Amino acid sequence: MKKVNNNFSSARRNFLRRQRKDKFFVGFWQIATLVIFLGLWELLAGVGAIDPFFFSCPSRIAVTIVDLAGSGNLFIHIWTSLYETLIGFLIATALGFIIAVLLWWSERLRKILEPYLIILNSLPKIALGPMIIFWVGSGSGATIVMCVLICVIITTISMLNAFIACDSDKILLMKSMHANKFQILFKLIIPNALPEFVSVLKINVGMSWVGTIMGEYLSSKAGLGYLINYGSQILKLDIVMASIVLLCVLAGGMYFLVAPLEKRYKKNG
Amino acid sequence: MKKLLELNNVKYFYQTKESEIEALSDVNFSLEERAFTSLVGPSGCGKTTILSLIAGLLVPSSGEILLDGQKIQKHDARIGYMFQRDHLFEWRTIWQNIILGLELQKKHKDEKKLEFAEELLKKYDLYAFKSKKPRQLSGGMRQRVALIRTLVLEPALLLLDEPFSALDFQTRLKVCDDVHEIIKREQKTALLVTHDISEAISMSDKVVILTKRPAKVKKEVLLNLSGATPLGRREDKEFGNYFELIWRELL
Repeated sequence: MKKVNNNFSSARRNFLRRQRKDKFFVGFWQIATLVIFLGLWELLAGVGAIDPFFFSCPSRIAVTIVDLAGSGNLFIHIWTSLYETLIGFLIATALGFIIAVLLWWSERLRKILEPYLIILNSLPKIALGPMIIFWVGSGSGATIVMCVLICVIITTISMLNAFIACDSDKILLMKSMHANKFQILFKLIIPNALPEFVSVLKINVGMSWVGTIMGEYLSSKAGLGYLINYGSQILKLDIVMASIVLLCVLAGGMYFLVAPLEKRYKKNG
Repeated sequence: MKKLLELNNVKYFYQTKESEIEALSDVNFSLEERAFTSLVGPSGCGKTTILSLIAGLLVPSSGEILLDGQKIQKHDARIGYMFQRDHLFEWRTIWQNIILGLELQKKHKDEKKLEFAEELLKKYDLYAFKSKKPRQLSGGMRQRVALIRTLVLEPALLLLDEPFSALDFQTRLKVCDDVHEIIKREQKTALLVTHDISEAISMSDKVVILTKRPAKVKKEVLLNLSGATPLGRREDKEFGNYFELIWRELL
């Protein structure tokens, strides 16, 4: 077990005290910002400075969430979006990674496909919406395809850049020890790109939610995107706001699941 | 003494989009077995190209390179290469870094090889750091690990490409001593590329001086200095004379 030294100098004690104080200060204001924002919002809606019909307010959002939960529909919508996002996220990340490996492997293929990658990256994927519905029909399938299309190109480009950025002297070192291309890939290129992979995961968490909501806007019968669309069409903005709040919680939750990986791998970079 | 390596009329041309560049023109020199030789020359003259050719990473445009009388093959297992930077893999422990070459050559389950690796770690005071990550080691220790990573493969010839240039002066002197001691103790033949004349003189039995590009051998200087270590050799009265001789050749 590690020995803990309690006989700190006064300078050390002051430093640790300052560190604790800073941590508390930041944590306190992170929570206070939310409380003040919600409080002000509720207050302004309560005194009529803003119209709750258009802007809703925290209490109405809370009531809407409870109502939706009571009707049993809320969990269907949450589960649908979560399932579509997770499947889209996993397929896009795996597919993007595999394509990046293939493009790293063959420089010629990389040169041939480079302009297409750039064009596909610049293309607003929403433009493909109608085609996706024709190809896979409406519903979860279309949403997952949209999600994959949004994430896969950026995953490919980011991972490929990380693979190519590997120090050429490290590759020479591997070659000088008689490594073959598979060994260079699995023992150097991929482990070396792990910090970038974690960054891609973090980006994909956000992007896959964008894909899901866009897909659900286009055509769906369930999901938080559908709920937002439905709420705006029947002019129940409380439903829209409640869905957005739930989205924030889910996307934040997914982000915090991925974030610890960064701590683990970034220091190896 | 027996010649371990011979370069006979080695030429090398680089191809670029614009033109063909002659990097080496008729390079001829040899390395005696168990001797420490340094290669010095003006910046950009092709010193590293020579190492890459010997290591089999490049193929000569003409001429031949013989190791123990045989033409060098691509990635010859008898040759070990130590680079300018240690290039330790940060995601691997020191032990995993040291056996990297054994893994690549599928010899990492060979008990004898592993024992030899452990022995080297112990002999050169790195055993306690076996499970540490490279970032937990000092610059000098990292270079020692890099050298052991190369020695574990038991090469007959060690190529050292400015392995001390990334270190500060004080560490550099210490690491020079360490590396020299390890190479001599393990009875290896070594070829060091350096731009530091003092370093070349303090470590070597022979210094090969190259001309500017396209490089060929201008002069070979055999050194006869007392002192067991590079630091000790720096104190020899002749050290300054050798320095002046080589310096003049490089002007």
